[in-house]
Amino acid sequence: MSSRDSKFPRIATSRRDLLKVFGAGTALAATAGCAGTPFISRGSAGRVVVVGGGFGGATAAKYLKRGNPALEVTLVEPNATFYTCPFSNLHLAGERAMSGIAHNYEELKQVYGVRVIHTRAEDVDPVAKTVKLGNGNTLSYDKLVLSPGIDIRWDALEGYDQAAAEHAPHAWQAGDQTRLLRRQLEAMEDGGTFILSAPANPFRCPPGPYERASLIAHYLGKHKPRSKVLILDAKDNFSKQGLFMQGWRENHGDRIEWVGLSGDGKVVRVDAAKREVVTEFGTVHKASVLNVVPPQKAGLIAHRAGVTDASGWVPVNPQTFESQRVKDIYVVGDATVAAPMPKSGFAANAQGKVAAAAIVAELDGRSLPKPYWANTCYSLITPDYGISVAAVYKLNEEGQIYAVPGSDGVSALDAPLVTRRLEAEYAVGWYNAISQDTWGTVL
Amino acid sequence: MLKSLTLTTITSLILLAGPAHANDTARDPQVALMAAACANCHGTDGKLAGSIPAIAGRPAVALESQLLAFKQGEIPNTTVMDRIARGYTDDELKALAHYFANIPRN
Repeated sequence: MSSRDSKFPRIATSRRDLLKVFGAGTALAATAGCAGTPFISRGSAGRVVVVGGGFGGATAAKYLKRGNPALEVTLVEPNATFYTCPFSNLHLAGERAMSGIAHNYEELKQVYGVRVIHTRAEDVDPVAKTVKLGNGNTLSYDKLVLSPGIDIRWDALEGYDQAAAEHAPHAWQAGDQTRLLRRQLEAMEDGGTFILSAPANPFRCPPGPYERASLIAHYLGKHKPRSKVLILDAKDNFSKQGLFMQGWRENHGDRIEWVGLSGDGKVVRVDAAKREVVTEFGTVHKASVLNVVPPQKAGLIAHRAGVTDASGWVPVNPQTFESQRVKDIYVVGDATVAAPMPKSGFAANAQGKVAAAAIVAELDGRSLPKPYWANTCYSLITPDYGISVAAVYKLNEEGQIYAVPGSDGVSALDAPLVTRRLEAEYAVGWYNAISQDTWGTVL
Repeated sequence: MLKSLTLTTITSLILLAGPAHANDTARDPQVALMAAACANCHGTDGKLAGSIPAIAGRPAVALESQLLAFKQGEIPNTTVMDRIARGYTDDELKALAHYFANIPRN
């Protein structure tokens, strides 16, 4: 990918070149031909390209076809197997195989007739309305859905770059990073310290670092009982904090120590080779296994498409999840600014459905449906002890997303143990259901 | 007057036309979008049975009264459904109940 000063001169050049070579009519046909589909004349139901096959993108592709089977839907996703971040913490704890968080695109292809291309989306030309692919082809779209997830800000934490992540994994995108962290935990000596560095808001999966600390504490308690878990945090409050702290006391005794921002918990420098971190006020912590959950931003293709703002995330029109900056590009999932909705797989799935419904209506010339979203995030403190946060979201009269009062909240602090057990069971039920709904996976 | 009569007649005919059309009514895109988030725990179309039950094809009256009971906090040991049910008006819960009741279970 080459850098460039301005996108518009480049677009003008590429369009001019195309016209020079083919002439206007054939240029169009050639672009459509690259999509591997017959040329679609005006009057077709429309072409939608979806980039990213995670919770947001795979759901959008499926629900686009459910909404209108005549749409031509193409999903671009580099990996044939997708590993979810949800439940990857169970793998780290030795409680679930990687195959138990693996998903594929067979249902989308075979049941819904989505064309799936396993390559990277390299660039977007919002004027020509094309997506340039890593395999050299170009796709044309009437509507584009980006579900790019997160990228790590490799320049945001001193000493933490791609090479450092091979020693001190982030494991915040599931797959090889998850396997690496699991191997390190298995090799860790009894009596060692697992350190997790947690970032400031916003970041993917707000309760995720604390569930990870919980389940790793569970593993260590069973297999390396003299070991400790230390969370160094760049903030003073975190998701479901009261429930986590109560659950830690009840299940893990004093194995987990949490140090917040005002206790000098913010990590400012990482020495991955030595597995050491330095906090804001100069305290050095040495880990046996070091897990850095670093600062994040929207995935790369969102930046290439010009839909991000100065924060590095993507502002969207809440009713449709269309970009506020670029027409006909819809963005869903962790990459977006959708507060008060969290950056969760559940929310991404719900946003994918809202974007799909808006696109189906627009391409059909119907009025937009009123959007609804929901979220439930379960966290496991042990495999048998679960807690949750939930909310239903609607659009208010100012067009902003709000959590319906009474619907948003966490599990009761004084709930009996039977409720915690039930929530752990429902966490598995939720994972099975959202996997089925998103990828058609039968677990 | 004539126009509204005609509309009424057409609507009646559609309603009388039987299960296939009842199902189309259940496929109203607006209700479908409201119901779509239910799939995240109950499976696509509410058909997945597991620790969380399937909701497709259950009688509308039963679904509606259970949703209202969740909303009013009348079901002991509830985990999330009391919170979720409070996110919708009674009319919305009724529409959701009818939507899922009209989906065949298989």
